Amino acid sequence: MMTGVAMESKIIIAIAVAAVVVVGVVAAAVVLMSGGEGGSVKYITLAPKDMKANLASGQIDAYIAWEPFVSDSVVGDVGEVLMWSDEIMDDHPCCVVAVRTGFLSETSVNGTDLTNRFVRAHVDATEWMLDALADEAGANYTKLVEMAVQFTARNESVVKAAFVHIQFGYEMGSDFEEALKKFTDMYIDTNMTTEEKLDERGYESVSDFVSSYVDDFYLATAPNVAESATILNPDRPIKLGYLLGDLHQLAQFVAQDKTVLGTDKSMFEKYGLKVEAAVGAPFANGGAEMGGFAAGNVDIGYLGAPPTILQHLNAGIGTKIVAQANSEGSGLVVSAGSGITSLSDLENKTVATPGESSIQFLLLKIALEREGLDLEIKT
Amino acid sequence: MDGNEVVISMKQLSKVFTKDRRQIKALEGFDLDVKEGEFVCLLGPSGCGKTTILRIVAGLETATGGDITVRGNKPGVAGQARGMVFQEFALFPWRTVRKNIEFGLEIKGVPEAEMQKMSSQLVDLVGLKGFENAHPKELSGGMKQRVGIARALANNPKVLLMDEPFGSLDAQTRNLMQKELLRIWAATNKTILFVTHSVDEAVFLADRIVIMTARPGKVREIIEVDLPRPRDRTSQEFIKVRGKVLTELDEEFEKARAKELSPE
Amino acid sequence: MQILRDDSIGILGRVTGLLGSWRRLFLGAASLAVFIALWSLYSAWLHGDWPFAYRSWSQPAEYIPYPSEVLYAFVDSFTHRDPFTSLYMTSHIYASLKRMFFGFVLAFLVAVPLGLLMGRSANAEAIGKPLVELFRPIPPLAWVPIFLIALKLFWGPIAIVFLGIFFPILLNVMFGAKSVDPVLIDAARTLGAKRRDIFTKVVLPFTIPYMMTGIKVGIGVGWMCIVAAEMLGAVGGGVGLFIYNMAYQGTMYDRMYAGMLVIGLLSVLTTGAAGFLEQRLSRWMGMK
Repeated sequence: MMTGVAMESKIIIAIAVAAVVVVGVVAAAVVLMSGGEGGSVKYITLAPKDMKANLASGQIDAYIAWEPFVSDSVVGDVGEVLMWSDEIMDDHPCCVVAVRTGFLSETSVNGTDLTNRFVRAHVDATEWMLDALADEAGANYTKLVEMAVQFTARNESVVKAAFVHIQFGYEMGSDFEEALKKFTDMYIDTNMTTEEKLDERGYESVSDFVSSYVDDFYLATAPNVAESATILNPDRPIKLGYLLGDLHQLAQFVAQDKTVLGTDKSMFEKYGLKVEAAVGAPFANGGAEMGGFAAGNVDIGYLGAPPTILQHLNAGIGTKIVAQANSEGSGLVVSAGSGITSLSDLENKTVATPGESSIQFLLLKIALEREGLDLEIKT
Repeated sequence: MDGNEVVISMKQLSKVFTKDRRQIKALEGFDLDVKEGEFVCLLGPSGCGKTTILRIVAGLETATGGDITVRGNKPGVAGQARGMVFQEFALFPWRTVRKNIEFGLEIKGVPEAEMQKMSSQLVDLVGLKGFENAHPKELSGGMKQRVGIARALANNPKVLLMDEPFGSLDAQTRNLMQKELLRIWAATNKTILFVTHSVDEAVFLADRIVIMTARPGKVREIIEVDLPRPRDRTSQEFIKVRGKVLTELDEEFEKARAKELSPE
Repeated sequence: MQILRDDSIGILGRVTGLLGSWRRLFLGAASLAVFIALWSLYSAWLHGDWPFAYRSWSQPAEYIPYPSEVLYAFVDSFTHRDPFTSLYMTSHIYASLKRMFFGFVLAFLVAVPLGLLMGRSANAEAIGKPLVELFRPIPPLAWVPIFLIALKLFWGPIAIVFLGIFFPILLNVMFGAKSVDPVLIDAARTLGAKRRDIFTKVVLPFTIPYMMTGIKVGIGVGWMCIVAAEMLGAVGGGVGLFIYNMAYQGTMYDRMYAGMLVIGLLSVLTTGAAGFLEQRLSRWMGMK
């Protein structure tokens, strides 16, 4: 056996030397290998709130995210916008209002009627915001900015810059449905969902799915909704889902505000609604909010179109889209002073996205495909 | 060599332990000279400081008063002048018999070949041939203590300190090990300071038996055992010495008990 | 010793002894079988399949797919690229193993000396213990955004795994170093050992079995952290990222469970390897 130096010290020395050598070699290999390949743009997944800091630290060269995370970097001089999302796809859908089908058939309250009233309040709130945004000198604009600052915890200049690129709106026209079809097709192409799943949910085709999943009954009847002097659901409030500080979903914040109308009632109350934040709200992302829908914790929620489509199809979560919340409002940000001036400059660079199923990822992919570039996970 | 040279000299040795802010006097005014080649047993009631004396001689503890020299040096710097054998064997479980024996030699930096030669001799001396590569776990209690003795002898110390080395062995093994120890002692001419609880063991082994008082420990009586070796436990002389030691000890036990019962 | 024991129990004893190891195997297999049977039954209940006449609950059946579907997804993950990252499971496993390896090596290199120091020095323990107690209970998930920014894409996820592995090794080594039998140190001192000798020849070998236990536990905890480590910015994929994507982006629960199965198997394999090493080491060192 071992002689001279005791075996115990030999074991330790051997392990330590081996460890140091292996770490060194692999680290060197990693450093040498990165940046060797060509022909594509590399992506990683980050939470949008962390993107600015990662861009500043040089960790990533660019990112694509929704407002206010775009203007946040621009106002902070960390990044420059290479491209707004409407330049990739004009008037592309973004956030929507979804309702749990179980809520519509609720027996303790009239779920359908309450949903109808909710959509009406959403319409009113959106109209109010559009009016406010039309007149930047007006008192309502100032008020809107205040609310946005409160909701997003970003400063005034960031919020003002962000407003420019968000298109608030509730209508769900044919463009909206066409865009959802395109997204669904892309999900099927990449196997994020399948034709079998469509079939399992009882849809014959993508267009059949989109036309029945998008239910414009509530929007169509919204103008007929009457005000209510009393709260119709005092014991069974609507459980509202929304995402953390997502400026796209400002309408629900406006609809809850008691000062907007000048009476002491919020828009929800005007139509007889008691609305409460759902358990878990504000959610970190749409996936988590869909979990809330599945558990019955969320009745009506604001979230991005992709998670509601994907999780409805894949996991059979019973939801419907009843209104749009906004379109556009995302941007591709590159590091300030990086010299990246076109999409082709992004070749071999690292771009952060909120996740492969996000609209931002799909838009980036569409844009890069037009330039003949692939989007691949960073290795 | 002069057989009367004093190897260990202790004068007015005292030791105070502090535990939980209380001071405990373990030793007070302990005097003893141990001569070269002598076999001395320390005997006394529990807690009388027998083990403390061994630990002070070994340099594991320092006396709080008095003088002690081991071959003219302070015990702390005596280094490898003494070897110690423990009741719990204290073998290194991850080392083989040979490697346990070679521990002290390794530290001294003895060259490999020489180390092997020395450990082989010791293995022979303590009767462990064939078990050189066994681990302690595979050995019986008696065999473990043979390793303990061989390991203590490896540094060739003048003094061997033994702290109830056979205390955890069964009676038969114990008798056998006592004979073995006497054989090894005769073969190596070591000076042995041996702590025991057993009167029988002390009378069987020792040239002199030091009977200690109850705590704080000092010398009560030193009994010379003049019986020729090998000693016969059933002989009249043996029984007489044994009786004398027992009487002395009983008194100390009584005192110790009385002290325990009375509040301090 | 071995022969002695065999004689004393006799032929009958040996047969029942053999049965004993078979019985353990049987019981292990039986518990798995019962688990899978109950799982199938629950799925059938959710799906409204035989032996149940109708769907008995409103919860979507996709949450608990059949074992066969999970097995299919498991195999599929090796034969087809996953829909999100376009990687095969082998690439995910490679990426995760690489992270685990670096995390482990770093944790080992830092935790062992620190544990020894804190176990042997009261001052070091007094300084280190409050920090350890403060940081140990923080879920690695909490560090994700900070580590990603501070340590970047390569080392950030590794640091998460590192945290999981680090504390079990540290605490076990510390405990081992503290519980060195004082009589062994006394023995070494009487044999002429100085502080350094005592450390390398007594404390260190004494601590090795404790260290191995820490490694075994640490690797297990490391795997528990892999989803947190890989859910963001996971370069080159990872099994944790795979699970996260399936759970949160795609709600493809069969694949999610398949990813969990992969983690389970990897954990069994790696802690098993550590256990094997522990046994070999302790046998070689004569401790068992």
